[in-house]
Amino acid sequence: MAITSYERLDTTNDITTTRTLLHESIPLTGTIVSGTYGTFPDDNNIKNYTHEQFQSVYDYPFLSSSANHIYDLSIGFDEASPMSGSVSIVQESKKINMYNQMSQVLLGYTGSANDVRKFEIDTTLDGSGIMRESLFINFARLITKDQIKKGTVTVTLGTGSWATPFALTRTLTDASASATEGTANTLGGDYGVLYDSDSDNLAYGVVFYQAGLIALSTASFGTITDFFSNSAGTSSVLNTFVSSSITASTDAFRHRVQNVSFNNTTEINSSIYFCRVPHNKYNHSANPTYLSSSTIRVKSVNSDQPISYITTIGLYSSDNELLAVAKLSEPLRKDPTNELTLRVRLDY
Amino acid sequence: MGFLDNSGDIILDAVLTEAGRRRMAQGSFRIVKFALGDDEIDYSLYNKNHPSGSAYYDLEILQTPIFEAFTQVNAGINYGLLSTTATDLLYLPSIKTNEKSQMASKTLAIRSSGSSGLFLLTDSSNDTSTTSISSVLDTDSIESIDGFAPQTAVLVETGLDTGVGQIPAGSDSNRQSLLVSNGLIDNKLIISYDSRFISGIKGLDSQSSVANNATSNQINASLSLTDGTRTSINSGLENYNTVNVVGIKNSIAQTTSPNTEADFSSISGPRGVMAAVAPVIKQGLDAEYSLYGGTSTVGATAVKFIDTTIYVQGSTSNTQLQIPFRILKLS
Repeated sequence: MAITSYERLDTTNDITTTRTLLHESIPLTGTIVSGTYGTFPDDNNIKNYTHEQFQSVYDYPFLSSSANHIYDLSIGFDEASPMSGSVSIVQESKKINMYNQMSQVLLGYTGSANDVRKFEIDTTLDGSGIMRESLFINFARLITKDQIKKGTVTVTLGTGSWATPFALTRTLTDASASATEGTANTLGGDYGVLYDSDSDNLAYGVVFYQAGLIALSTASFGTITDFFSNSAGTSSVLNTFVSSSITASTDAFRHRVQNVSFNNTTEINSSIYFCRVPHNKYNHSANPTYLSSSTIRVKSVNSDQPISYITTIGLYSSDNELLAVAKLSEPLRKDPTNELTLRVRLDY
Repeated sequence: MGFLDNSGDIILDAVLTEAGRRRMAQGSFRIVKFALGDDEIDYSLYNKNHPSGSAYYDLEILQTPIFEAFTQVNAGINYGLLSTTATDLLYLPSIKTNEKSQMASKTLAIRSSGSSGLFLLTDSSNDTSTTSISSVLDTDSIESIDGFAPQTAVLVETGLDTGVGQIPAGSDSNRQSLLVSNGLIDNKLIISYDSRFISGIKGLDSQSSVANNATSNQINASLSLTDGTRTSINSGLENYNTVNVVGIKNSIAQTTSPNTEADFSSISGPRGVMAAVAPVIKQGLDAEYSLYGGTSTVGATAVKFIDTTIYVQGSTSNTQLQIPFRILKLS
């Protein structure tokens, strides 16, 4: 029913806005990409496509409506890579296209010829440290939310043999990156460098925080000769790039992902409405139970204080349309001796 | 619709309503005022006689569990707290329908139908040259309003209904001191009606008058109907429109030799205003009877009906009343 008693909000003093960053820890264990749901490489939570340009990882068999998309895996190389033009290379154009698609969106073009920039394992984009062959992890927006928090990324890769990939591991982190330093800004947002801090402290990849993408160098897997193994034999990571499809290469990649973790960031913009309830108002109610035979129930004589109990705050437009409702968790007593300020926050 | 966790600090659970989200999409979301509600509270739980003292009077009220916020506009605040600044009020107006037989026989008032409490509206669209819905009702002495051209109405009264023989008495001086002086006279009443079935509301003409000051303190009423004024007030109810109707001074008062106030008024105490509610039904209601209504019989005659509720609200006191109506036509 129509409300007839309103209190106006002073747009200068009663309404303010705030911005809050919320972070969640996202641990993505390697078992989820290999062996938890079905038998590798035909895991039920791994979705392959007929185009074979990438494969998707879900947290549950992807045919289930309960499954959530976690990330996609792909590989690619620059057309100037030594392996480009190799004899009998499998899906060459698709691999080049994947690399270029990532780099043109995240890094853009450069020079008078508008060449696509190349990923570099540093923050200078000066042409040194170019990463011509890459393995990509594209995280779903569902888990990165607005962006990955800088300085929180950890990727642990198995660098052991095909049979026991995690007998040796390499842990990459972006510990040198923070909100204020250690990152470079590009078309695709900020990126930081992933270092192996345990041993040689060398860079092996980059992470794009807003885009939610990790590009790893093939050097992450060192010189292991059995990066991939199938009935045809074993192959190093570079040979896998040449002789195997993208799907087979990403199968080999996820066979060696032991752990990925980071903190995501959700930016919440809030409007705060300070609803100031004066001492001399809102002490009576139109609630039908407020009266008994037209007599105010909470009073015995005129001089008794009127009392009401607030449970709800309605926020209205100028034409009295109810735009938002806030509920108190318990009734709040209001009488002429108290003046209340109720702080209502709407998040967007 | 769960309850909020009330085991710790007081928290506020805020949500946008459907209208809020629509306004966001339209780019016209702008909050400029607020109102307060207490719909969950049952004030009858306030125990002024609690043996442990005044600190315990509102113990049960303060333990009332509160629902989570929900997004339907009409589920926000139905009654609301009042912004009146007076602190010495002991009484607030109530609103009631007037179904006094003497008013029904001497004025345009009608009474509800039997024990159902429904007020009847006739839809003559299925009347024949030999049978009409009005005549069927008249045969059974059932009062009704002509739905297309109302000449009768439901009368409503506001006032302090403190009870027969109770104080304050229904005198004009008490009306002045307890209602007029405290700004509790509803010169307009807000009527909300379902626009799917009803096209408008007729209320009393502002020149109408009512008093019990004729010979032997009998009723002296001059009541005539006019169209209510359409308003943009949002009732918060889907499909409902609102009109304002006039509340005329209710001069029925306590008299002596004889005291006839109870013969003509359903308010036992100082009276505020009287108003009329005469709905005008929409032309061409047909499929609505099967969609929203049903079938029944009046005597031996088969009829179709639609039940609908009309809400009456004092524009000043905010006192509210729901009036159930039944629209009837021959099958």
